[in-house]
Amino acid sequence: MHPFSYRQASDEQSALSGVSGQPGAAYLAGGTTLIDLMKLDVQKPSQLIDITPLPWTKITELPGGGVSIGAMVRNSDLAHSEIIMTRYPVLSEALLSGASPQLRKMATTGGNLLQRTRCYYFRDITTPCNKREPGSGCSAMDGYNRIHAILGTSKHCIATHPSDMCVALTALDATIVTRGAKGERRIPINEFYFTPGDHPERENVLEPGELITAVELPAMPFTGRSHYRKVRDRASYAFALSSAAVALDIQGGVIKDARIAMGGVGTKPWRALDAEKALIGKTAGPDAYKAAAEAALHGAKTHKDNAFKVELAKRTVIRALTMAAQKTA
Amino acid sequence: MEHGAAATACPSDPALAPGSLAPDFRLSHPRNASLSLSDLRGQPVVLAFYPPGWDPSRGEQIAQYNKILTQLPNLHAELMDFSVDGDWYDLRFAREQMRLPFLANPSPQPEIAQLYGAEGREALFVIDADGVIQWSYRAPVGVPPKTEDLVEALRLIAPQPKEETAAPKAPRMALTRRDFIAATLAMAFALTLGAHAAQAEPEAARMGATPMAPAMGVSGGDTMPITLTVNDAAHDLQIDPRATVLDALRERIGMTGSKKGCDHGQCGACTVLVDGRRVLSCLSLAVAQQGKKITTIEGLAQGETLHPMQQAFLTNDGYQRGYCTPGQIMSAVGLLTEPVGPEDADVRENMSGNLCRCGAYPNIVAAIQDVRKANTNASV
Repeated sequence: MHPFSYRQASDEQSALSGVSGQPGAAYLAGGTTLIDLMKLDVQKPSQLIDITPLPWTKITELPGGGVSIGAMVRNSDLAHSEIIMTRYPVLSEALLSGASPQLRKMATTGGNLLQRTRCYYFRDITTPCNKREPGSGCSAMDGYNRIHAILGTSKHCIATHPSDMCVALTALDATIVTRGAKGERRIPINEFYFTPGDHPERENVLEPGELITAVELPAMPFTGRSHYRKVRDRASYAFALSSAAVALDIQGGVIKDARIAMGGVGTKPWRALDAEKALIGKTAGPDAYKAAAEAALHGAKTHKDNAFKVELAKRTVIRALTMAAQKTA
Repeated sequence: MEHGAAATACPSDPALAPGSLAPDFRLSHPRNASLSLSDLRGQPVVLAFYPPGWDPSRGEQIAQYNKILTQLPNLHAELMDFSVDGDWYDLRFAREQMRLPFLANPSPQPEIAQLYGAEGREALFVIDADGVIQWSYRAPVGVPPKTEDLVEALRLIAPQPKEETAAPKAPRMALTRRDFIAATLAMAFALTLGAHAAQAEPEAARMGATPMAPAMGVSGGDTMPITLTVNDAAHDLQIDPRATVLDALRERIGMTGSKKGCDHGQCGACTVLVDGRRVLSCLSLAVAQQGKKITTIEGLAQGETLHPMQQAFLTNDGYQRGYCTPGQIMSAVGLLTEPVGPEDADVRENMSGNLCRCGAYPNIVAAIQDVRKANTNASV
């Protein structure tokens, strides 16, 4: 690990001034990604600003029925929050399917949004990686790419976004609230992440030093009927090969509205808008779900070892929709 | 880089210059037949002289080796394991099936260091299959070992992995697992923490540990004064910000109950409680824990009375080797205060962050369920 200096932020202002204009400075929250990557020399910040003392630890109801989640709320606390379990079960389920109990106790809401890919080559500093070292090449393209993405890829990067939480947040149309040199910003999650394109090193719209303060969930009357389905190599404690976060508004057997996002298959948490459209107005049931799954994987581009993900992702979507429909709204 | 000048730091003694025959010596070890350097002809050998306290069988140093090896793309080798034979370490690498005898720290026989002009300093000699010195490096006395020098040494032998597949000529006696663990535990100093030998903790000294070895490859940053509260006792430490809670516990405070398994948050062997919540000490920085209460496996028992979870692990035989056990127990204690369903399946899911190769899982689940049932009965 490279040497760094460490400082605790006492408040938001001292956090922002600690990182803004300081190339090499980074925020430290739960540390479950950052410390790991620092041990691997993938990330080498020269200064860490510890933001864990900041008071963004509350989950509060917003006027109008939405919910605001402080950036420092730990994943385990969020997953077990009563309001999340009842109103947004898909988020609770996604969180509990991720990582391990210990890691969930550490990881924060803001930090999870910025989780880095598990691409083996990104994590291995001896191999070329455009995300880690722009222009060096992509080792996964012709390497072992079983875990890699089939949606949103470019010729420069096929790394998968690893988070479960973010898939649920994407289905729920979350808004990410940030604070930076230019004041507060409110960013819809679907505009927060970049696909790799020509710049895999740029993963999101955050400016240097900009800090996530909260995540807001809009009021959505049907999200009680939502579900997260995750498929992985072992029964627990593994990253998704494929996952789906879905919510269904079913009235009189007919789908009025739907939300579908996928994990494990995209270079960012993947919202499947076409699949949602395919569901609306259809009778809830296998035919509609199958059509939605086909639409969700339309345009998928596979590589040597990950072609299986197309069918797996379709089945994951179908299963998630089936399970969600069985819930009472 | 500094080690570019390493070659010029080679011994001035012409008998030790590259191209000359490596002086032979005999190693005697109480548990083993004596072995000469010349017995190892037919394969390359690395002679490494390090200050006391350096031990390549330590987890940190294994990790360090792997880091070094990743810098040698031609080698395509990953260090798999060690066998230890007296003063020799046999490093085994994956893929190439390569074995590399590695003489480290022959301090019990100072005449060997003398023979190679390496008393009290770091020195490395790469000796080829014919017993000829190919490369050597001797650091000035008092200069800490540097990873780069080892990289340089391994780089030299990397391009000829085929030659190294030859079986060692010398008979090897494998160290038993118990010996290995004992040897590992005896060496109580982390590579990553070692930059400040002079500040070795008095507690550590009382425990009979050797002074902290200088770090390899780290140009230590500034240290910080912190107070860690562990099992209700305050520990004042001057610590490198890079130190994890796990390293601080094991290497500075002398509490080796928390184990280092993967050191990357994937196995749970390092689980401790921070303010009552189970977390991974290998991914937690020590400097970030001030004002928090850390509970380790050492802090569970009340005097001679075991914590109910410890007792339940004993009663249910919830361990095999035992290396994962402190992490399993701490995780299980943390679980008791969490919303976890009543079934065995719920326990399994909520213990999934503690991985081991052992066969103790069913008994661990039974132990945890015993404690949970007793708690339920007690609170009814």
